[in-house]
Amino acid sequence: MIEVRNIRKRYRMRYVLQDVSFTAEKGQITCLIGMNGAGKSTILKAIMGLTPVKSGQILIDGQPLGKSVYEKVAFVPDHLTMPLGMKLSEGLRFMADFYDSWNPQRAEELIRFFKLDTKERIGNLSKGTAAKFNLVLGLAPNSEYVLMDEPFSGIDMFSREMIAEVFSSELIEERGVLLTTHEIGEMEHLIDRAVIMRDGKIGMDFDCEQVRSEEGKSVIDVMREVYLP
Amino acid sequence: MNRYLKLVHMEIYRFRYMLAILMGLTAVCQIVGLVLYLNSEVQYRYSHFDKFGQWPDSNAMSFARALFGTQGWFAIPVVLCIAALILYAFLIWYRDWFGRSTFIYRLLMLPTARRHIYLAKLTALITFIFALVGFQLVLLSLEKWIFAFTVPAELTEHSYIAEAIEANRVLATLLPRSFEQFMYAYGIGIMAVIVAFTAILIERSFRLIGIVYAAFYVAACLLAVVFPIYTFGIDRSNAYLYPEEVFGIECLICILVISVSVWLGFRLLAKKITV
Repeated sequence: MIEVRNIRKRYRMRYVLQDVSFTAEKGQITCLIGMNGAGKSTILKAIMGLTPVKSGQILIDGQPLGKSVYEKVAFVPDHLTMPLGMKLSEGLRFMADFYDSWNPQRAEELIRFFKLDTKERIGNLSKGTAAKFNLVLGLAPNSEYVLMDEPFSGIDMFSREMIAEVFSSELIEERGVLLTTHEIGEMEHLIDRAVIMRDGKIGMDFDCEQVRSEEGKSVIDVMREVYLP
Repeated sequence: MNRYLKLVHMEIYRFRYMLAILMGLTAVCQIVGLVLYLNSEVQYRYSHFDKFGQWPDSNAMSFARALFGTQGWFAIPVVLCIAALILYAFLIWYRDWFGRSTFIYRLLMLPTARRHIYLAKLTALITFIFALVGFQLVLLSLEKWIFAFTVPAELTEHSYIAEAIEANRVLATLLPRSFEQFMYAYGIGIMAVIVAFTAILIERSFRLIGIVYAAFYVAACLLAVVFPIYTFGIDRSNAYLYPEEVFGIECLICILVISVSVWLGFRLLAKKITV
């Protein structure tokens, strides 16, 4: 379980995160929803130790951040973060070199699934192809959790379908997934839990299935309640 | 340890073309300069001989004298390499933050202690320095061979490589004759790189206000290093301390500056850095 407890973060004299607490369970897809600038990406970065927080605690399976966390939690940022001069094959090699949790068979499967050419240079990839390769790097390791920042933004329809297919496949099933999005539409049926953020605070945190069956509301209905009361 | 070495390999691999270009430039510039100089000198001697039936008064040509006569050709690429490495001391960090691929995300998420990233970048940079210095030494032997090949035996006067190095001011600084001098020059250089690394990490951690902090940090380090020399004096006869004592203090301060900078760098990278 990823536990975020009362984290606060200041940036240029204002709080971008204020007492944010939530949990993301293993075996579930948790979605951080919010408008641009609500602090979604900052939370993911804070969980990965890529930006410091002022106060609060982040625990992964009860442990604080440390180098072993990076074997356990994979992060797919909103852009590909590999040197542009590298070939795809070199990028895969790099990951295999550094991560004990790297699973080369799965990487190969994913490369085949997304129809990527490993001889291509990373700098030459189109945005959508780069996003696919980014997913390969995030999903190939045998990590227990995967964090994804806007996995669907700026990607064409067919590629979106492919990525959505990955979400409902066994690649994700066992793991805990925490992702952010500002366009909930096509994600709605995939997610188990939604955390709605507003101005650096948690507006609502709920189980999608429960809200759907008990109150008959969709995630978008709840979002409307939070954003347009 | 293993991952540290892999990181070092990666950093060197990323700079390989640039290093090759710098080496190539140095070789071409120095060899062209040397050959042009030697040809004109030899020609002058032969034309003098043809005209007057005897060699000019200072007819002997030694490798050392040839290097003395080609100061610029030898110094410019060396200075250029130094400038490139100084620039790269900054780029080695900033290139990971800027541009389309922000590789620093990946580096910080590697399942290894973050100090390995710092150490790998430092090791890579020191490797580049000594690779270029070593290349210059090899190049000098090659150039000596070119000299022997170009200048006819009757005009050649023997000289040692060491004399040749002394003949060029930049080379004499780059390749000091005494090991002690070598240690000082490169020790101070590496200390400067470490202080610069820490300043960069301060800026990357605190951003805008970090520039001010970094400037203060660099100024403090500079002051600490220069302070004993100015206060106690090292060449004054009326100084309160013996030169050896001032030297000892200086060494201690340098070790302190290096330790504090490295410690601070590790700490910032582990706790404060932001992408």
